[in-house]
Amino acid sequence: MTPALSITNLRKVYRGGTVAVNDLSMTIEPGDFFGFLGPNGAGKSTTIHCVTGIATPTSGTIEIFGVDAVKSYREARRLIGLSPQEFNVDPFATPRQIVEWMGGYFGLHAAERKKQTDALMERFDLVEHQKKAFRELSGGLKRRVILARALVHNPRLLILDEPTAGVDVELRRDLWRYLQELNRDGTTILLTSHYLEEVERLCRTIAIVSRGKIVRHGPKEEFLSAGLETAYLSATGAVPDHIAGAA
Amino acid sequence: MNLVNWVGLWTIIRRDTARILRVPIQVFIAPWISALLFIFIFGFVVGPRIASIGGHRYLEFVLPGILMMNVINAAFLQSSSQVYFARFLRYIEEALVSPLSYIEMIIGSLAVVVFRSVVTALGILVIGAAFGVVTMHAMGEFLFWVVGVSAIFGLIGIIVGLWAKNFEQLTMLNVFFITPLSFVGGVFNTVSMLPPWLRWLAYGNPFFYFINGLRHSMIGFSEGSETFGAVFTVALCAILGAWVWRLYAIGWGLRE
Repeated sequence: MTPALSITNLRKVYRGGTVAVNDLSMTIEPGDFFGFLGPNGAGKSTTIHCVTGIATPTSGTIEIFGVDAVKSYREARRLIGLSPQEFNVDPFATPRQIVEWMGGYFGLHAAERKKQTDALMERFDLVEHQKKAFRELSGGLKRRVILARALVHNPRLLILDEPTAGVDVELRRDLWRYLQELNRDGTTILLTSHYLEEVERLCRTIAIVSRGKIVRHGPKEEFLSAGLETAYLSATGAVPDHIAGAA
Repeated sequence: MNLVNWVGLWTIIRRDTARILRVPIQVFIAPWISALLFIFIFGFVVGPRIASIGGHRYLEFVLPGILMMNVINAAFLQSSSQVYFARFLRYIEEALVSPLSYIEMIIGSLAVVVFRSVVTALGILVIGAAFGVVTMHAMGEFLFWVVGVSAIFGLIGIIVGLWAKNFEQLTMLNVFFITPLSFVGGVFNTVSMLPPWLRWLAYGNPFFYFINGLRHSMIGFSEGSETFGAVFTVALCAILGAWVWRLYAIGWGLRE
C-alpha cells in the first residue's frame, strides 16, 4: 500500500549552517495516528515545514501518498492540511475569512466553501466569534480557527504541530475526541506534542526525533512497557533518574 | 488537475482587495488629497503665472505627471507592503502550503496592484476635472501607461517586500530612488526648461519616459519617443516578471 507520508534521507541545512534535519527517514501508513516526538529544536517543525512547503529541503525526497512534494508540489499540497505551532494568520481577518480564503486557495468553489466554512464554524463553536478580528480572540479560540483552516479542504493527511498548546482541559479533550473521529473516518494524522499523555492516548505509532534524526520508531505498545516518558527520555539522551534526582 | 487554479487566483485578488479596503484613507484618500494639493498649488496658484506649454495650460501639463507619480507610489506601496507584512506576520505560509502556483501568486498580487493604481488614477482625473482639466488624447494609450507602469512598480515592490528585513528597508527605495527620480522626470517642468547640460538627466531617467508617455496620452504633448518608452516598459515588465518568478521558484525570502 502507498504510504501516506514517506520521507527518505531528508536533510535541511539553514543558511547560517545549522543542520536542523540530518538524514531523516520515516514512513507513515495510511490511516495511522502518528506521534512525532522530540525535544525543542530536534527538527520536528523543520521536517513538517519541508513536508508542507514552508521550507525547502536541502536534499532527500518526500512523498505524500506517492506524490513527490517538491516536483509535483501542487498535487501534493492538496492532500495535506497543516495546523502549525504558531499563529500564521492575518490578525485583522475574521475566523470566517481565514477559513473561507483557505478554501479558495485550495480551489473550492463558492457553494462548497460556504458549506465547509459553515460546518467548521459550527463544529469548533466559532459561530458567535466568526466576524471578530482574529487578534481579538482568546488563545483557545485562535487554536480552533487554525485547526478549522487546516480542515477546510478535507485533507487526507492532517499535520498537527502542537495543536493543544495553550488550550484549556475541556477544549483539549473535545479536540482529542474530534481527532479520533477524523482518524476513524480515514484521515491520517501526524501529531507533534510535548504532552506525552496526549500522544499515549491518541497515537498508534510513535517516532522520536533527536538532533535531526529519528532515534526510535515503532508501535506505541513498544514504548509503553517502560512507560512513554522513560522511553522518550532515554531515546533523546536524557537520563530519567538523573533528572528526577536533580529535581 | 486543472492547469490554472482559477478559484485560488480569484481568492488572492479578493483577499488582497479586502485588505486594502480595510484602510481606504491610507490607500486612496491620502494620494487624492496629496494630488489635490499639488494641483491646487502648482496648477492653480503657480500655474497662471507660467506661460502655456505647447499650447497647453500649465495645469494641463502638470496633471499627467502628478497622476503618474501617484500611480507609481500606489503600485510600489501595494505590493511591497502586502508581501512584507505577509512575511512578517507569516500568513504568506497560507499560500505556500496551498496548491497555488508561483505564477498565480504573482498575477494575483499584480491584479490588485493594477486595481489600486487605476482607482487612484481615476480619482485624480476626477479632481483634475473639478479644476477644469478634462483632456484625454488617447484612452488606450492612457490605460497602457497606467497598467504597464503599475506592473513594473508592482514587481519592484514584490522584490523589495521579499528582501526587506525591517520597516526601514521597506521604505528605502521609495525615499532614495522613486521619489527623487519622479520629481526630476518631468512632473513639473519640460526638458527644455532645464539648462542644456542637465538635460541628460531627463533623457537618462526611465521615469521621464513613463511621465512623457502618459502626458502624450492625455494632452498629446511629448518631448521624447513614446515608442521607445513603450518598448522599454514592456521589456522591463518581462525582465522583472521573470526575475520575480525565479525568486518565488527558489523561495527567496519566502521559504525557510
